[in-house]
Amino acid sequence: MSFLVRQISLTADGREIVRAATIAQAQLSLGRAAESDIHLPDLALEPDHARIEQVDERTIRVRATGTLGFELEGRTVLRAEIDPAKGAELRFGGHRVTLSRGDDGATILSIRRVDAVSEASEEKEETKVFSLRGLLPGKRLTAWALALAILIGFLAIPIWSYAGRPVDDTRNIYKMVGDKAWSSGPLSQAHHALEGRCETCHQKAFVSVRDSACQTCHRDAHDHAPAARIAMARAEGGLGDKLLAGVAAAFGKPPEGACVDCHREHEGAGPMQPTQQAFCTDCHGTLKDRLKDTKLGNAADFGTSHPQFSALVQARPGQHPRFSRASLDSRPMDDSGLKFPHDIHLSARGGVAKMARTMKAQYGFGDALACKDCHKPTADGVRFLPVDMERDCQMCHSLAFETIGGTVRTLRHGQPDQVVADLRAYFRSTGPAQPTALGGTARRRPGDYAQGRLYHAYFGAAAARPSRAEDAVTAVFSRGGACYDCHTVTPPGTNGNAGWQVLPVHQPMRYMMNGWFDHAAHRTEKCESCHAAPKSHDAKQLLLPGIDSCRTCHGGEKAKADVPSGCAMCHSYHAGDDAPWVPASRSIGKDAATGGRR
Amino acid sequence: MAAGAASPIRRAKGEVLHDGFLRHAGFRWLKIATLICVLSIASYMLVDVTPRHNGGSWYGYAMGTIGVLLILWLTLLGLRKRAMTRGRWSLKAWTSAHVYLGLSLIVIATLHTGFQLGWNVHTLAYALMMLVILSGLFGIAVYATLPAALSNNRAEMTQVQMLDAVRAIDRQLHDAAQPLTHEQAALVRQSLEDDPFGGGLIARLSGRYPRCATARAQAALRRWTGETPDTGNDPLERIDALLERKQAMLARLRRHLKLKALLEIWLYVHVPATFALLAALTAHVVSVFFYW
Repeated sequence: MSFLVRQISLTADGREIVRAATIAQAQLSLGRAAESDIHLPDLALEPDHARIEQVDERTIRVRATGTLGFELEGRTVLRAEIDPAKGAELRFGGHRVTLSRGDDGATILSIRRVDAVSEASEEKEETKVFSLRGLLPGKRLTAWALALAILIGFLAIPIWSYAGRPVDDTRNIYKMVGDKAWSSGPLSQAHHALEGRCETCHQKAFVSVRDSACQTCHRDAHDHAPAARIAMARAEGGLGDKLLAGVAAAFGKPPEGACVDCHREHEGAGPMQPTQQAFCTDCHGTLKDRLKDTKLGNAADFGTSHPQFSALVQARPGQHPRFSRASLDSRPMDDSGLKFPHDIHLSARGGVAKMARTMKAQYGFGDALACKDCHKPTADGVRFLPVDMERDCQMCHSLAFETIGGTVRTLRHGQPDQVVADLRAYFRSTGPAQPTALGGTARRRPGDYAQGRLYHAYFGAAAARPSRAEDAVTAVFSRGGACYDCHTVTPPGTNGNAGWQVLPVHQPMRYMMNGWFDHAAHRTEKCESCHAAPKSHDAKQLLLPGIDSCRTCHGGEKAKADVPSGCAMCHSYHAGDDAPWVPASRSIGKDAATGGRR
Repeated sequence: MAAGAASPIRRAKGEVLHDGFLRHAGFRWLKIATLICVLSIASYMLVDVTPRHNGGSWYGYAMGTIGVLLILWLTLLGLRKRAMTRGRWSLKAWTSAHVYLGLSLIVIATLHTGFQLGWNVHTLAYALMMLVILSGLFGIAVYATLPAALSNNRAEMTQVQMLDAVRAIDRQLHDAAQPLTHEQAALVRQSLEDDPFGGGLIARLSGRYPRCATARAQAALRRWTGETPDTGNDPLERIDALLERKQAMLARLRRHLKLKALLEIWLYVHVPATFALLAALTAHVVSVFFYW
């Protein structure tokens, strides 16, 4: 009945030192206390931790005295019975106790310290513990993980999705996945519906957006000019421009003049940016140098380099009018076929003003006639409607000739044959009434204006040539007659005409066919500040203001003028009759916000 | 023969031995980088790109190309630093150029964007680039300021000596605690089993260990010793003194670890972010030309 206790320790160089002691007792105490039979200086143990006793030949009982217990083959137990012949491994705190039977029948307890005295005393790898290596995932791992995640998420998935989409997909329902992150910025308002459908415009991989992509929807965008002429007109750039063009061509960019050159996308939500002046002036600034046969003057900047306006004027009025374009500098005459002195009508004194004053209540006139009393704007306010005799003139220039039962009969305006027929019928059926001396406009007197009372075309005619229908007809169409004052009348017999001919009147609503002018945008101005109507004594005088008049407010795109004006304010690149495109934020409707800028 | 014997170490003209990479060659690369920035900003102002500056104009492509080449060259420092040489193209010169040209990239890349940023892969690349640059800036700052503090804190000790000092105190604590009751011994064990290198990243960077087992053990022990007079042979008093010493040693060790962590942490951002940047840059360039 004895135990052989072998305490094994290691020297600094790793050699084992074994101190063996035979204790001839049936029971051993084990603990931290110095008086224990097996003294283990281990703070994890209680001073009196366990008892080891030999029960019989084949049984060793190990039992914890306190509540802490010990480990048997990895499990924590409070007591254990072990056959020494089979052996066992026990663990008390940081010590390992191997139990076995010696050749002489004694029980051998091999004790070895396995845990270091403290955590700090454990073996440490200096480069590891003193650095962040244990605390953070490795740099290489993180680098690979991040790089792969980005390559997969932002490159592989979109390309895979692109490659897998159906060919010839026109319905656009097979949206690509993951390419939203490729968009460099939101699309403009007009193209908002295409957001996320990149392949609508970017039709082929690694091929820049072509005009054909735009023209899928914009089928009716007019060409500016024949492509050959545009190519001829384009200014040859400097060395830098050539270099840039070469690089662009090398990368497969379409040559200059593509839709996207002017219409840039992905520049932010909201209206698309207006086209810059430079896009026009590249060609038009020095156009005459290259396109020798062009009728257009060079235009580089509205404020400093822009030809005088050309108006489309009527050189010859009539049934078959002849029009020609003429610069306003040449003071062209515009013969609409009408006789009309603006100065008399707008004068603040004189008969017209006096007559207007008497009609204030009925027609809303002022102390004298104003432009608006005769000229009515179109619904959009851009232009003015042609002056209409019945609406705009007849309140003064009455064509009444008879009153029947309170109803006034008037000569039919615009139908000379009917006038002649009506007068003949009148003379056939009725005798002449009291003569008056009213015929043409020159003889009107204040107070004699009222329709159907004193101012009768008939009276004038009848008074001069009583009871003779033909005389009355002649009087109406001749000097002093109602028609003659405003119209050019040809008597029968001239030019092979059988009856009286009145020259047709053509009042143009637009004089500048390639430029856009919006009267509504200028409603803060007075008419007279641009149109010298109060001084015009002849209707043939073209009252359009020249470019100098515009330049009092408008300057070039970058000018310090009140209204910096790029080409696109008045001109449309895609030739058409409509207004040039203006971004919504600068349109007329929002004038107030931008101080009248347009 | 004569030339070889005269100077075994060849030094570039004007190079002073103790110039750091920041002051290298009289701030040569700082001047070059400043010039690049000024030229970039001036050209940005002067070049009229319509409708407005962005990465897709010719100017934007030019700045982008310069930026990409610069980024690739800057990345090469990782390879270059593994081969130290002297002279004009010494590693110090490279590092100096790396720092200042890297900073000039802030200007070049920002002008490349035309200040158009959004939630997309392009801005991701830009953001990663800024992250790399800012982490590098942090690195320069700590390299310039912390080594002195690190040296002062060490008090002529090496890292291993600091650890050995803790180990010595631990052994003494272990011995001194043998006569103690189990509860008291458990407190000492708490201190012994606490890993001086534990505590996680935040504790490492801040140098604050509010749950330090040694401090807690000492505080708990003082509940026993506080009321009894110090007779000189109470083992608890000895342990208290040992814990006091251990705390002082741990404080020094932890300050050392904090400074070292600050000197290292930026690279854990700088390097992985660089590779993420290279990936994002690839995606950026490919996507731009894919959907051209």
